[in-house]
Amino acid sequence: MGARDPLYPQSDNLNDWFPQRDTSDVLTVNGLRLGVVVGGSLSKGLDVKLDRETVIEDLAVGRYVVVRGLNKRFFCMITDITLDTTNPAIRSDPPDLTDQFLREIYSGTAAFGTLHVTPMLTIDLEAGEPRPVKTIPSHFMPVEIATTDDVNDVFGREDATHFNVGAPLELEETQINLDLKRLVERSVGVFGKSGTGKSFLTRILLAGIIQNDVAVNLIFDMHNDYGWAARDERGSEAKGLKQLFSSKVAIFTLDEDATRRRNAKYDHVVTIGYDDIEPEDLAMLKTTMDLSDPMIDAAYELQKVWKRDWITHLIDASSDDLDMLKEMIAASPASVQALQRRLRRFERFDFLKPHALDDSVRKIIEFIEQRKSVVLEFGRYGNALEAYILVANYLTRRIHAMYVQAVERALGDENMEPPQLLITIEEAHKFLDPLIARQTIFGTIARELRKYNVTLLVVDQRPSGIDDEVMSQVGTRVTALLDNDRDIAAVLMGISGSAGLREVLARLDTSQQAIIMGHAVPMPVVVKTRTYDTEFYRSLGSAPAGDGGSQRSKPDRESRRIR
Amino acid sequence: MTDTTAQQPIIGSVLRASTVGFVCGTRSQDIVHPSFGAFVRTRHGQMGEIDVIGLIHAISIDDDPLVRQLVLANNMTPAAARDQRENRMVPVEISVVNIGFIQYDYIYHNLPPRPPLSLDPVQLCDDETIMAFTERLDFLRLVLNTNDVPTEELLAAALLHASNARPEAQRYAFLVHAGRRLAGLLAHDPPRLQHLLRLINPN
Ligand SMILES: Nc1ncnc2c1ncn2[C@@H]1O[C@H](COP(=O)(O)OP(=O)(O)O)[C@@H](O)[C@H]1O
Ligand SMILES: [Mg+2]
Repeated sequence: MGARDPLYPQSDNLNDWFPQRDTSDVLTVNGLRLGVVVGGSLSKGLDVKLDRETVIEDLAVGRYVVVRGLNKRFFCMITDITLDTTNPAIRSDPPDLTDQFLREIYSGTAAFGTLHVTPMLTIDLEAGEPRPVKTIPSHFMPVEIATTDDVNDVFGREDATHFNVGAPLELEETQINLDLKRLVERSVGVFGKSGTGKSFLTRILLAGIIQNDVAVNLIFDMHNDYGWAARDERGSEAKGLKQLFSSKVAIFTLDEDATRRRNAKYDHVVTIGYDDIEPEDLAMLKTTMDLSDPMIDAAYELQKVWKRDWITHLIDASSDDLDMLKEMIAASPASVQALQRRLRRFERFDFLKPHALDDSVRKIIEFIEQRKSVVLEFGRYGNALEAYILVANYLTRRIHAMYVQAVERALGDENMEPPQLLITIEEAHKFLDPLIARQTIFGTIARELRKYNVTLLVVDQRPSGIDDEVMSQVGTRVTALLDNDRDIAAVLMGISGSAGLREVLARLDTSQQAIIMGHAVPMPVVVKTRTYDTEFYRSLGSAPAGDGGSQRSKPDRESRRIR
Repeated sequence: MTDTTAQQPIIGSVLRASTVGFVCGTRSQDIVHPSFGAFVRTRHGQMGEIDVIGLIHAISIDDDPLVRQLVLANNMTPAAARDQRENRMVPVEISVVNIGFIQYDYIYHNLPPRPPLSLDPVQLCDDETIMAFTERLDFLRLVLNTNDVPTEELLAAALLHASNARPEAQRYAFLVHAGRRLAGLLAHDPPRLQHLLRLINPN
């Protein structure tokens, strides 16, 4: 006896249209079908009704799924997971699910799970490049967990400019390869609460950049994290960049004693002369040192009177000296006195001297010209924010000025231009807060894009404190867990599909997980960051990218004078 | 649809019929076989004719003048009662809702295009036919939309019949499968669904 239906199947039950696997014991969802698309929109994302067999508890926001459409693969990120019922009435009288029979019937039918996924990219079936999504799959297309092949098709393989930074969620054997060229081409932000792995992540990024020679780095190392061995929270030591790339990295220090005590090999001790500090350098410190506008004006006037030695004079000035000043300048004595009190705080900083021992700016430039990255250790001054801001600004202003000249002199001849420079600063909101971002050199660098071959790597735990306009120029954002809504909103600003990412961002693990989004990745991705350990050190030594430089044109690699 | 079916007992013949159901008349002593929710079919001798498959949803015994008299008389002997039952003038009526039909040995899961003919013999379906028919569960919807029958009780009884027609090992899976279909069909009416599931829950 045969059974057949002369009519079209008259069913409103999706399960009848889409026969399901009959393996209700499958728990691993890897590469398997999760459900079908049942609705949604391009702007708001897709709704996916989960198959009965899909174990909701095994899913997590941030994971990739692939919708296999008719001629395209759609890459989507899970941004929400909901429990649905076909009828809200069932909530008021829920069935007794301790009964196995009832559970098997209700789950997936009257009560079922829905995924909300945000489409990020599409790839045409016949060997297409990843493209931005401009459409969505049609109804009832199957949705699967992304496989290793899917991920590789999007993020490419590791090579001279693609650097492995970690694995996507739940796909440990896969790797996410950042496009380093694009990474350094625009400014980069590394964000996250304290203790979420920002410093480790930054060190991994810097290692990739240095290893593959995509940019020279100047790192203002507040907590001695990057140059020489840094102790982690568990007390084990992580190697610094100088230890990993001894010939490509130089350590400069502001605190020779501290650096020596850590047995770090340093190349240069930085001193800054009072006579080199200009009133402009103080403007940056307005909020940190509580300087008023009249005080800054007074600084300009004092410089006119006392010339280069104005700071030494002011610090040493007796009240009689200040009295005499009254005749010579317009600034009020109160402002001058207040300024004097503030600047006397500088006396705590041993690296500040009446005259610098040598020209540290020139020294740094020399290393940069040789394509050597410079890590500036702050030693004990890392805890003094005004020291950090003063020095970072002082050096950066002068180095940037030289870059501007060099680039303009090159007249567009790329071979004559100085090497791409990436400047790393921590506590970035102190440099880039909306009050001062316009006046400071870091605001300028962020805004002028890559015009002068200088970009920023900003590390910060409070991204909401960064000026909006600057933030919009941060091309690649690497974000570990943030729990403050304003911070989350700040890092997601200007990222497409960001509504869904908010949920993902707020639910990252507390350490070694981050979302990477923006310029250096084809689509936002949640990674479990590579572990910074001996295996990582080894991979830097033997990776194929190690000699990636040979593919570069020759002049690019030669050292070139910036001055 | 051959030998074993032929051996199934005839439970009566069609009295009245329409495309949505029919009534089968039988003598009262023959009603030991049919039960509420059982699958029945009509049996037409001719090739190409339609045999209707349905579910028994009511069995009724009407009175007649003689029964009324006997009930009033206070000296009814057991012999008189048996005689009345065996030789009564009004047949027992078995009401059936149509849920499908068979034509040229094919099973169709929708209403028959024509009703069965009166006096067509009616028999219980054998296990093989029940299994084949309930491979698909379209009749659930058909019955749920039927008026004037106790839908949930009827479906529950039918599903238990269908389950029992299967080998022991397949019964549970069958009921779960049916339950899921019902969950889809009764999504708008959770209390009704819960009631039905309670009726077929094997646990
Ligand atoms: N990629 C990583 N490899 C190894 N350990 C890590 C990694 N990321 C984070 N950790 C651990 O987490 C701790 C905090 O990381 P850290 O980078 O100091 O956080 P943050 O700079 O955000 O305050 C580290 O001490 C280390 O033990
Ligand atoms: Mg840190």
